[in-house]
Amino acid sequence: MADKLPDALPNPDLVAALPRLRRYARVLTGDLHRADDLVQDTLARAWEKRQLWRAGSDLRAWLFTIMHNVHVNQFSMRQREYAQTSLDADDGPAAGWEIPVRATQADRVELAEVLEQIGRLPVAQREVLILAAVEELRYEEIGDVLGVPIGTVMSRLSRARDKLRRMNADTTSSLKVVK
Amino acid sequence: MSGLPLSEEDLHAFADNQLPPERSQEVAAVIAREPALAGRVAEIKRQNALLRDALDPWLAETLPRKLLHASAHPRRVSLWRRLRPALAVAATLVIGVATGWYGRDEVLRREGTPVTFSRQAALTHALYAADQNRPVEVWAADEQRLVNWLSKRLNFPLRAPDLNSLGFSLVGGRLVAGNEKPGALFMYENTDKQRISLLVRRDDVPSHETAFRYAKEDGVSVFYWIDDTCGYAISGRVDKPQLLAIARVVYGQLAAFEAAPPPRP
Repeated sequence: MADKLPDALPNPDLVAALPRLRRYARVLTGDLHRADDLVQDTLARAWEKRQLWRAGSDLRAWLFTIMHNVHVNQFSMRQREYAQTSLDADDGPAAGWEIPVRATQADRVELAEVLEQIGRLPVAQREVLILAAVEELRYEEIGDVLGVPIGTVMSRLSRARDKLRRMNADTTSSLKVVK
Repeated sequence: MSGLPLSEEDLHAFADNQLPPERSQEVAAVIAREPALAGRVAEIKRQNALLRDALDPWLAETLPRKLLHASAHPRRVSLWRRLRPALAVAATLVIGVATGWYGRDEVLRREGTPVTFSRQAALTHALYAADQNRPVEVWAADEQRLVNWLSKRLNFPLRAPDLNSLGFSLVGGRLVAGNEKPGALFMYENTDKQRISLLVRRDDVPSHETAFRYAKEDGVSVFYWIDDTCGYAISGRVDKPQLLAIARVVYGQLAAFEAAPPPRP
């Protein structure tokens, strides 16, 4: 009993959201360790601001919002020029993408390529793309999470998809040459 | 058919299933007639599926302990997390005072909860029992002065239980951070240099009474009980049965003492 029970049990709703938070953090940071630090900071912030969460609303979207803000703050504090070149810029490499491709995923070359391609998108486009395509948030929700108008969401999404398509066309055409 | 031609936005919203049903049907009808548009929608859907295939495996990974920890209510864990490093070094006076104050703050917020009291007891014990030079402020040689002083500071008649029958003799005592008020710590030692301590705390507001409770905090065993406004905790790095025997003796002596209190100092 008192000597066995942990002092505080993890909140089940937060634990349920953790896998998706980690995933989003990885997409933001491009780094496994920094991603988990970001999740940790996000959880701390969420506890601080828990009165602001409206019960019944989507906890996941709320946590994504906090994570986005924490990341932007850390980002601009740490690397001003990174923010300038990569957070919003349409071109130029997205620095620091170091997500390793797991062996099981590498079984499908396509998937490994996708991971690498995500890393080549600017962070702002990556965010929108993941929230729309993978997390399947509504565009308005994405706008709320990122604090931008829906028009910005749409233009970023459109550009992200175009880029992916072009990257893909390149690899496909080179594969065809090999055949 | 209204709202034509299709916008770029429509295509994305259609591919992402975000259009209202009516509009979705209209868009589908247009796309059916335009292979180029159909190709773009198919491409978006294919990208979405690929992205999910690539990123979904991450969801199945084992969660790191630190994130599970961060998912728990921080007030219930922060004391321990903050104090653990302090416990590791355990004994300089500066750290003792600092953690004492952090501890006090935390205890205040969680007033009267027995778990906190056991932590406080374990912490205090770990800090001072490890101190070879100055585990106490007043040594047992001055027992009467010690008891008078602590009774005065706690504003409540105290007595140091006699544990000689169990092989533990009084080393001395000190004032420690309590709840709203200071607490008193009596330290005992046996011939094997094992130390145990009794923490006495008194609050203004009565807490829920508890029977004997046992907790183990970072290797320190604690038996504690709360009696109206007074909390008592016996702590030591000894096994549970031994500590229980000690706690029973302490409890018995304190009960007898309460039944027949001596004149107040």
